[in-house]
Parts: sequence; C-alpha cells; structure tokens
Amino acid sequence: MSASGGEFEVVIGLEVHAHLRTKSKLFSPAPILYGAEPNHSVHPVCLALPGVLPVLNEHAVELAIRAALAMNCEVHQRSIFARKNYFYPDLPKGYQISQYEEPLATGGWVDIPTQGAGGAASKKRVRLTRIHMEEDAGKSIHDDAIAGADATLVDLNRAGVPLIEIVSEPDIRSAEEATDYLRAIRSILRFTDVSDADMEKGHLRCDVNVSLRPHGSDEYGTRTELKNLNSFRFIEDAVRAEIERQSETLRAGGAVRQCTLAYDPQSGRTSVLRIKEDADDYRYFPDPDLIPMLLAPEQIERVRSEVPELAEQRAERFQHEWGLSEQDAIQLTASPAIANFFQAAADRHGAPQTVANWILRDVMQALKELEMALDDSPFSPEALAQLISMVDEGKTTVKSARGLIAELVESGGDPESLIAERGLAAVSDAGVLERAVAEVLAENPENVELFHSGEKKVVNFLMGQVMRKTQGKADPAAVREILARELGK
Amino acid sequence: MARISRAEVERVASLARLSLSDEEGDRLVREFESFLGYIDTLQEIDTAGVVPTAHPISLPTPTRPDEPEVAMDPDSAVANAPEAVASAFLVPKVIDTEAEG
Amino acid sequence: MAEGIGTLRELRAALDSRKTSSVEIVGGCLRRAEASQQSLRAFVGLRAEAALREAEASDARRERGEVRSPLDGLPIAIKDNMVQTGEPTHCASRILEGFVSPYTATAVAGLERAGVVVIGRTNMDEFAMGSSTEHSVEGPTRNPWDLDRTPGGSSGGSAAAVAARIVPAALGSDTGGSIRQPASFCGVVGMKPTYGRVSRWGLVAFASSLDQIGAFALTAADCAWVLEAIAGHDARDSTSIPEPAPAYSAALSGDLSGLRLGLPKEYFVSEGVDAGVLAVVREAVAGLERAGAKTLEVSLPYARYAIATYYSIANAEASSNLARFDGVRYGHRTAGAKGLTEMYCRTRSEGFGAEVKRRILLGTYFLSAGYYDAYYRKAQQVRTLLRGDFEQAFAGCDAIVTPTSPEVAFRLGEKTSDPLTMYLSDIYTVSANLAGIPALSTPCGFAHGLPVGLQILGPALDEATPLRIADAFQRITDHHTACPGGVS
Ligand SMILES: [Mg+2]
Ligand SMILES: [Zn+2]
Repeated sequence: MSASGGEFEVVIGLEVHAHLRTKSKLFSPAPILYGAEPNHSVHPVCLALPGVLPVLNEHAVELAIRAALAMNCEVHQRSIFARKNYFYPDLPKGYQISQYEEPLATGGWVDIPTQGAGGAASKKRVRLTRIHMEEDAGKSIHDDAIAGADATLVDLNRAGVPLIEIVSEPDIRSAEEATDYLRAIRSILRFTDVSDADMEKGHLRCDVNVSLRPHGSDEYGTRTELKNLNSFRFIEDAVRAEIERQSETLRAGGAVRQCTLAYDPQSGRTSVLRIKEDADDYRYFPDPDLIPMLLAPEQIERVRSEVPELAEQRAERFQHEWGLSEQDAIQLTASPAIANFFQAAADRHGAPQTVANWILRDVMQALKELEMALDDSPFSPEALAQLISMVDEGKTTVKSARGLIAELVESGGDPESLIAERGLAAVSDAGVLERAVAEVLAENPENVELFHSGEKKVVNFLMGQVMRKTQGKADPAAVREILARELGK
Repeated sequence: MARISRAEVERVASLARLSLSDEEGDRLVREFESFLGYIDTLQEIDTAGVVPTAHPISLPTPTRPDEPEVAMDPDSAVANAPEAVASAFLVPKVIDTEAEG
Repeated sequence: MAEGIGTLRELRAALDSRKTSSVEIVGGCLRRAEASQQSLRAFVGLRAEAALREAEASDARRERGEVRSPLDGLPIAIKDNMVQTGEPTHCASRILEGFVSPYTATAVAGLERAGVVVIGRTNMDEFAMGSSTEHSVEGPTRNPWDLDRTPGGSSGGSAAAVAARIVPAALGSDTGGSIRQPASFCGVVGMKPTYGRVSRWGLVAFASSLDQIGAFALTAADCAWVLEAIAGHDARDSTSIPEPAPAYSAALSGDLSGLRLGLPKEYFVSEGVDAGVLAVVREAVAGLERAGAKTLEVSLPYARYAIATYYSIANAEASSNLARFDGVRYGHRTAGAKGLTEMYCRTRSEGFGAEVKRRILLGTYFLSAGYYDAYYRKAQQVRTLLRGDFEQAFAGCDAIVTPTSPEVAFRLGEKTSDPLTMYLSDIYTVSANLAGIPALSTPCGFAHGLPVGLQILGPALDEATPLRIADAFQRITDHHTACPGGVS
C-alpha cells in the first residue's frame, strides 16, 4: 500500500480532541479521576439530574486559551457555548455542551517537519480552522459477562471532562503528514502543560477526514471520516488503508460515499460504521443556561505572556546558547519531561554537552530497558549533575557511574552515598596504582617491548589492563601518569 | 398551502425519540399547521440587523475555580436508575445504527 | 372546609405571643391539605412526618430564643418541580415516577435556612407546560372559587392551596405567566422576580432563559418575606444575578405619591379581553391614581408578537431540556424494549403526556436544520425588539400595569381540545418573561363572581416597586382578603 494516492491527490483534515489538565470537570465540580470504578467520580451535574445547571471551570478556559495562542490562533473576546443535541446513553443530558457558531478561537497554524527540495529538512504549515471547548461524553462498556449479551453498561466518570477540539484545514497530504501533525499537536499540548495528551489513556483522540481528487484539481472529493483512532500507528495504517480503498473505488469508476468508518487493526481494513444521512441534525443552539463567554483583552494578553516555551524554541535555544547539535537538541526536546530534566541538570552541572551525552546515551537507554517514562522516574536532574561532576573530579570512574544510572532511574537515590556504599570510589592511592602498573608491566613484557620500539599506542592496551586489575575503579588520569613515568624509565 | 407534511412530523418525532400512533400523527399535523400559521406572523417583522437575545439580562461571565467537590456516593448515583449493575447504569444494547457525535 | 390559615404576618405574631406553636400551625395545614384533596387536588405529595419534626425543631429554637428569620416555623408548599433531598419530584409527569432527589434546590435551601417548614409539593401542569393545571398525571387541580373551573396554571396547585387558605404561602415557577395567571384566577398575590433573581439550581428546567421561581401569598408584604428568603446570588446558577437581593419589606412604604404608572395602549383596548375584567382593572387603576399615582400611556408595539415569540423560544429550549428524560438514569423506563432506540422511543412516549410531546415536537422542529433561522433565531430577534419596547416604556414610568389575564378562570376542559386558544390566554404575561423583568399579580376585584388580577411590571432588578404598589393597593382595598366559599 502506498502512503500517497498514486494518480490521486490525498486531502486530509484532522479533528483532534484533547483533554484539558484540570482537577474538576468543565461544567461540573466532580473530580476527574482516571481509572476509577464506574460512576465513582460523578456529581448530580454529570448525571444530568433534573434541575442541575452548568458552571464554567475557569482553569479550563485558561488552558484552552493557552493552547489556542500556542497554535497561533486568534482568541475571540466573545464565544458562545451551544448545545449539540443527540441521544446516546453516554450523553446524559441528551446534548453535549460545545461551541458552534462562535468558537473560542479561529485561524492559527501548526508547523510540521517535512522534506524540502533535495531532501533538506524543511517545515510545512498546516492551517487550523478553529479550536473550541466542549465536554467529553461518558463511556459505554460492552461486557457480556457483566451486562449480558443484549445490554450495555454506562459509566459517566468521563462525562463532562473538559476538551478542546482542534480542527485543521484539509492541508495534510499523506498518512505520514497526518501523524507528524498529531505529534506536533501533542508536543505543543505537553510543553504548554495544557494536556497530558496521552493517546493510550484517551487524553488525545482523533478523527481523520480523508478524500481524494485528481492531481491539479481544486475541488474536494467526497470525504469519509475515520473515527476515534487511538494510536499513531493505527492512524497511519488506517489512513493508508482508506486511501487505498478510495483509490480502488475511484479507479473502478465508482463514487466514494460520505460515511463514518472504523479501522480494524487486525485485518488492516476500514469498514463503514454508518452512512452519513440527513438524519444527522444536531439542532445546535446557544445554551440558555450559559451566558456568552466574554474575555477581556488583558486576560488574553496575560495568558499569551505566560505561554511556556514550545519544543521548537527550546531546541533552538539549546543549539544557540549551549552549542548543541540540531539532532541532539531535537532529541532533548522530545517531551517536556526530557527537556526540563536536561535543562535543570545542565544548569546545575555547567557543561551542557557533557550532560546531553549522558542523557542521550545512558539515561535514555535505562528508561528504554526499564520501560519507564522519565515522568515516572524518581531520578532528579540534580543527582545526574552530581554524578557527572564526580566523574569529572575523578571521584569515580565513567564505568562506575554508568553502572549506576539504571538504578538511579528506577529507584532514585543520592549518587555520592551510593558510590561510597558500593565501593565505587575511584582509586587514586599512589601505592595501590603503582603496584597494579608494576604487575601489568611484568605480565606484558612483549607490549613494553613494542612501546619502546615506537608503538606508542600500546599505552591504551596497558591502561585497560590496569583498569581491569582495579575493577574499573582506578582514576584514569593517575594511571596514565604512572604508566608514562614507568615506561619512560 | 400545507406548511408541514406527515413525513416531516415523523422525522421530527424520530429526532426527539418519540413514537407516534396513527391518530397522534394525524392530530399533530393539524396542530402544527395551525400553530405554524400563527407563528408565521413573526415573518411580518423586519429583523434585519437585529441582534438575537438568548438571555433576557446581561451578566458578566460567571466561572468557578477548578476545585473539585467530593464525588457522589456511587450507590446514590445509581439509586434512581431503572436498571444498574454494580455502580454502572444498564441499558439495552444498540441494535441499529445510532447517531453518535 | 375548616377554618383557613391567616397571613404569614398574623402567624408570626401568634407564634411570638405564644398563642400557638409551629407544630399546631403545621398540623393544621396538613389536616386542611388532606381534607381538601378530594375536592381541590392541590397537592401531589405531603411530607407530614418530616414537616412536623421540623416544626418541633422550630418550636424548640423559639424557646431558646434562636429564631432564624420572620418565617421560622411557618409553613409553605412548593411546586412539584423543585427538588429537596430525600423527597420525590415528579413534575406531575409519569416520566419521573419514582425519582427521589439526592440534592436540594437553592430556593428550597433558602427556605430551610430561614426555618420555613415545607409541608408538601403542589400539583402543576406536567413540566410546567400549561395554563390550567389540567395536564397533570395526578389529575387536574380545581379552583377553590368554583370547583368546575381551573385554577390556572401551571402553578395551579400552589395558587389553589393559598387561595383555599391551606397554606399561607407557596413557591411556584413562572415561564410565561405560570405564577401570575393562577394567582389572578385564584385571587391571591403571585410574583415572578427578575430573571436571575432566584436561583434555578434545583428547578426542573422547562425553558431555561424564561424560567423563574417566585412566590404566592395572601398579601404583597408576605410575598416580600418569602422572596427575601429565596432570592440572591447563587454560584451554582450561571444566570444568577451577582448582586444580593434588596430587602423588599423595607420598601413597602404605602406611599404612591409621584409614582408614574404606564398603561400600555395595546392592552387597554376592548378587543381580546373580557369586558368585566377590563372594567375591574380600570377601576383598580383609578384607585391607584386616587392614592397619588400618576398614569400615562405607554406603547409596547411588539407586544402582539409576544405569544408567537414566546412559544417559539420556550418550546425550542424545552425540546432540549427534556432530552435527559430517557429512561437511563432515573424515572420511568418501558418494559421489555428490544434495543436502545426502541427503549428511548417507548419510554418517552409512555412517560410524557400529550401537551409535553406536542411542545417537544414543535421545539425540535424549530431547531432542526432549515428551520432554525425562520423560527428560533427570528423569535430571538423579536425578543430583542420586545425588550426594547420595555426599556423605552420604563424610561418614562416606574411601573406598568395591565390585566394579568384577559379573562377570569375558565372551565375545566374548556380549552384542552384547542392548544392554541390555551396558549393565547398568556397574552399579558409572557412579555415579562421574554424581557426578564419582574411582575406580580394582585387581586383587584371580581368579574362574573370570580377573582380578577392586576398585573404590575417593574424594570429589571426592581421587584421593590411592584411590591410597593401592590402593598399600597392592599392598604386601600380588601379584594385580597376575600375568601372562596367554604373557607373562613
Ligand atoms: Mg467533531
Ligand atoms: Zn468534538
């Protein structure tokens, strides 16, 4: 399957839903608890009991504005909450409070990496149509063992969790661009602290609209909508499969029907969930329980002045201020957790490149092996800085330090006391080292011979032998000095 | 001229999740007809450029701080439910294609 | 019928002078409520045990000198669309059968805080949709002045209960006249405050931008007391007015000198209003003039579109507000439905009465694709024009007076077969809801042997002026003291 449409041009637009990181719901004071038992984090408002009313969460508004500004949108001083009316058991009021005619923000863009002419790294700008605020629905659980074969369980814990919906223009042209775009969105949401944006946990969900048209055409083809894709791989695979399906239909002279599709990762195929009909009549109207949301210009400007640095700006700063390579800088800004960890450790230690090397090599590897996220690790940037400093000062060796990283990542701790406890302090005692050197020279007469005949490189081999004899604890600088002295005799 | 057809009344009923008996349907067509005729007097009014009023009085936007209240006791949450299993509501499964937003 | 209850002020004096106790007063209310059910059906539920317990607690507070408010220990009835923890609320509908609320409406909590004893819930038109209290799953409430007539609606149970002197006061809700029209039909005082003055938290929504809780009482002064207990800002209602409610009782000076009363020329015409009613209202206006008020003509040119505007907006909002009654989380659910859609359709069709279904369908239609602009949006624009009418009128006067209803209480069944005729009986009341302004009805005489109400409207936020006018009127007239036959 090809990622592009062959003889057709692929036109993709995304609707991304992201949970806002708040403690309570958008219009209900119920706490937000992930993974709670059904209906353990609800309030009469979440259940749409008769007589309840919505009141807007001010922090959700702040986060939504922040996201919109970080994505270069125009945030409107007046926006309207509207009711989207439809019946579903996970929608307790029979309507979702969303924004329709006057959304929070419009315009804006997100840049994604792309390959320019001749393979040079470049950027592509994906325009945004709008960002609006809305509430999430609850969950329908299909569990025959508990509910029986002809019933469904309804859990309203998620009902009312604040969301922003980010709607892109149809500027995306391939499955790869779609996932690049989503990664860019995720990075912005995380760097701005707006959302955890974890797809696995459902914080970030995405609907993809796909249509094809002949190259050069400026009319859009009939689009289909892929619903609720919950991993980057599924999105890419699903979009490819849908491009292929539509191409086949069009090549065979058929017409694409407007419909909603589901993707089955097992078969790698998309299947029609339902045909879009005129019956989709959501009867949007301004929610009479909520008055227009009016934002003062100063409020918007205050939020603008507080938008944290995004990944791209951080990476640039790491290159310009600290002289890191572009590749290192990009890797160190893969998530706010890594970027913050690096920045704190580098600030403390003082040699950013050295710290970068330790993180990119040892810390990353340990995280990978432990299948941990840096967020969940007790390892502090101060501890890493301290460990590296001990190496610098010859108090321990690179080898010993590296051996400790996995443990520090997994369970934290103080590097100085760990090194002391484990007997990993570097050996710089002249007597001990001189004895080791003497033994090594005695055991390797042929290498000593080679050295004297001009093969100066054998020093490295002899160094290694001394390190081995001291279980890697020898202070390398001291060993090199003694070796040079002894060989020079 | 008829303002509304029987089919249109049926479409509206299906949107509102109401099922109508034959007599109800016939009666509602007549009632719609007379009511819509009455409401049509509004069309006499020139409202070009008039801002719609969604709320009768203007107020500053009220918000609440992001402070969670204690969640409801789950037993009480489902106490009024016609059917519940453990602490979840129980509903018949969807057996037809249902609109979902 | 037994001896009727006095006013809140009379009861307060009797408690303070230890002539009676709260237990005795509440016990009397409960007895009269029970005894009248057969003939009036004003109530859908009594909380006899809880009410007596609360009355005892109030008596104990009075003994200790810890009286919470002028209303402490006094009884009240609430309409069946306001929730109270542990109590049923059914909105006179089958769809809410079995529902017991786990929380309390802010207005009801205000009464509880004041020490008021809620004796029970009153009958109403299902979901407050109606003008006669005939659309109730419990059966109709009757007018204490003539049992063959309706008490008006939708708060007919509350109006009848006060008129029959079962309770001295009651809460109602008013979306298009549902307090004022029954107050007029039953010869009691009923007031709808400014939109947003009383929190809607815990009031089962009919039309959110129009609904407002208010009070029934035997006098304007009593009405002011009840409003003081329930009005004020509530952070749980986003449409609640942020300022605290004024002390209404303090405004009841009895003085009308210099007051400018606007008479809408569109309403003081013989067309569309009963001649007897109009004559009584004109005489009441003359009485106010004699007491020092100046009258002037004002114009509400868009008033004749009020009914069409009102029913477009109210039904649209209702269609959405009533979507939550789906048989999933509470209330009625049909038995043995196959599949979800069938469960929804059958539950809702069985659970809602004909009038509610009619309004849901009309409202759904107004909001549906292709009709929104012609109906809903158009009505909201006309609403703007209508508000403008009132703003202009109030620039030249302090209050506006009109008949409350174009007629006296009509007969049971007289209008149920023609919904549009029923809707037209709200002609004088709906404008206040559309404009969000305060309005009350006070008894001003009799026509055809039945009570007639005078409607007094004030500018937004100013409940005090209509209350002051009604109070002054009651000082110079005795219409409000008239009792229906069989009550002394
Ligand atoms: Mg969407
Ligand atoms: Zn959405």
